[in-house]
Amino acid sequence: MNELIKHAKELLEKGEVAAVIGYRQVSEKRTKPVIITEPEETRALVFNEYCLNNLAVYLTKARIKLLGRKNNKSFKLAITAKPCDVHSIVALIQENQIDRDKIHIISFNCHGVVKDFGFDFNGDNLSSKCITCETHKPLYYDKLLGEVKETPQARDSALERIKEIERMPHNERFEFFRSEFDKCIKCYACRAVCPLCYCQRCITDKTIPCWIETSSHQRGNFAWNVIRAFHLSGRCTGCGECDRVCPADIPLSLINRKMTIEANNLFSFVSGRSLETPTLVGSFNEKDNDELFM
Amino acid sequence: MDEKIISRVDLMKICKDVIDKGNTLLTPGAADYYVVKDISDIILDTSALPSKISHKSYVFPRTEPVLYYKRSKNDVQLIDINIDSKKIVILGAKPCDANSINIMKHLFNWDHSDEFFNKRANNFMVIGLMCSHFDEYCFCTSVRSSPVSEKGSDLFLIPVDINNYALKIITEKGKEFISPYSGYLKPGDEKNSKLITENVRQPEAAFDSSEVYEWLGENFESPKWEGVGNLCLSCAQCAFVCSVCHCFDITDEDYSYTEGRRMKNWDGCQFGNFTLHASGHNPRDIQSKRYRQRVNHKFRYYVDRFGEILCTGCGRCSRGCPVSIDIKEIVSNCNDNQKEFLK
Ligand code: SF4
Ligand code: SF4
Ligand code: SF4
Ligand code: SF4
Ligand code: SF4
Repeated sequence: MNELIKHAKELLEKGEVAAVIGYRQVSEKRTKPVIITEPEETRALVFNEYCLNNLAVYLTKARIKLLGRKNNKSFKLAITAKPCDVHSIVALIQENQIDRDKIHIISFNCHGVVKDFGFDFNGDNLSSKCITCETHKPLYYDKLLGEVKETPQARDSALERIKEIERMPHNERFEFFRSEFDKCIKCYACRAVCPLCYCQRCITDKTIPCWIETSSHQRGNFAWNVIRAFHLSGRCTGCGECDRVCPADIPLSLINRKMTIEANNLFSFVSGRSLETPTLVGSFNEKDNDELFM
Repeated sequence: MDEKIISRVDLMKICKDVIDKGNTLLTPGAADYYVVKDISDIILDTSALPSKISHKSYVFPRTEPVLYYKRSKNDVQLIDINIDSKKIVILGAKPCDANSINIMKHLFNWDHSDEFFNKRANNFMVIGLMCSHFDEYCFCTSVRSSPVSEKGSDLFLIPVDINNYALKIITEKGKEFISPYSGYLKPGDEKNSKLITENVRQPEAAFDSSEVYEWLGENFESPKWEGVGNLCLSCAQCAFVCSVCHCFDITDEDYSYTEGRRMKNWDGCQFGNFTLHASGHNPRDIQSKRYRQRVNHKFRYYVDRFGEILCTGCGRCSRGCPVSIDIKEIVSNCNDNQKEFLK
């Protein structure tokens, strides 16, 4: 970790960045985000299998973007990002939310993270995104740290579950989602933690007209979860944060992953993988499959 | 206080009777308090951590209609709601959760008596269960409670051996509830259960709530709020899982041009639009102000208004926070020892 601390400290000392967004250890099997502006404070920085948060969510917050205003030095932000978090950064750049040259990406050779805090790191407790991860080395970075290590083997049970749900008859599938969405308490933690849910004013916050009832009853919950699934289709990078934080334990990853598979099948596109390819929603191709148009 | 001994088998018979009579029996699970359908689902584990979501929704539902309306050309007709007033027995409430209805009662009977809340609250029967395990987020002992606190319970259970509980009868309501089952009760000895409760490991007090109260009064403009405001993501996880957060929003839902209903829905003070005025002005326009409100409301304003801390120390808001903001850590740093709340 000394490499990370040394590098971050240097960035701050030279005034190259206004802040370093990183992780600090809080207990043996838990880390939490920390935003560091003073060089000495970088000693708290860590990177390990417990760095679950996708810190890219902070990059679009005005209060973080403007941290540089205080020291009058740089508006650049350094961020420690797992290779999969880099996908979110790429998606945000592609959607014109942040500038590549204002972000300093410190990334790592990554062999996976645990599914939630408090678990031992092994195949049984591997985060489901790591099971199918193709980018243990980041696609984009300004500084690469960490050694290459083997990712534990694990079964892709999430995909099996998706296939199971696909096979369900229509009414059974509806019943499955109804019972899951019934648990939603509308805390919007899924939205808050999602780097791609950066709207200044979410459609659920619009009252005139009111598109989505704020009530957490069946109709309101359905409307919310379905609209979020739609708004993230072809945009979700699969970081799994929404699923991890949902207090009602709704398997949101199943929905997002299914939509990602669909978008890839129809348009050969996965969000956040390339700075050269335009976004799916923001581009048009004559050969695009149009069977989705209503 | 009256103390009895009841075997687990007999306690389960009482539970079965509660269900058979058509009442709701609630018990804590890992995710949520749930309605027991079959008594074999009952766990009664003193070492379980508080469930992710509290039992609050059974007394203060996350959404409920407060009236129906019908519009005609020159008139609006209002139709009252019949509040479902089933008896709810909550079995094995954590001591932190057991007192939450009492804490919220103040607010719902302040300038107006909220019949929706009161009717349900009066129908609640709380059977608390001693707690024998805490984690890094628990801090009941810092907010005038403890793992063996009987506050808020009508009846309180202390396991004395594998098969038996000491049953303390705390309130009149508890006495009334248990009297039809007196055949199941054997005489108990307070000395025995005291020996157990005195030896329960308790979280060390993390802060002195009266010092926190003082500090908050003098540090409304503290630069410390900015740091935590930078990290907080403005969701309502913390407020919605909390057993005593009670803010709600009123909104109308039209079914058609002539009919609709008025809803009372949970709301959370960390949402950016919580205090947004129709004019566009927002007195809590940035996250640091909103987080400051959360801490002040719990540890100062509520104390001012009702003499109670609006927090039971259960720690579930911290356990579930997407960015692991720990309210115990924050409140422990409501003093001038450290430049920042979180380091
Ligand atoms: S998905 Fe890949 S990059 Fe992301 S944490 Fe897992 S192994 Fe690392
Ligand atoms: S995090 Fe879960 S409970 Fe909260 S709004 Fe999202 S889906 Fe609903
Ligand atoms: S929808 Fe969920 S998995 Fe997809 S980018 Fe957002 S937080 Fe990550
Ligand atoms: S403290 Fe945590 S749970 Fe509460 S609003 Fe902030 S991010 Fe959400
Ligand atoms: S504020 Fe947090 S610790 Fe206090 S009662 Fe609410 S959920 Fe529990």
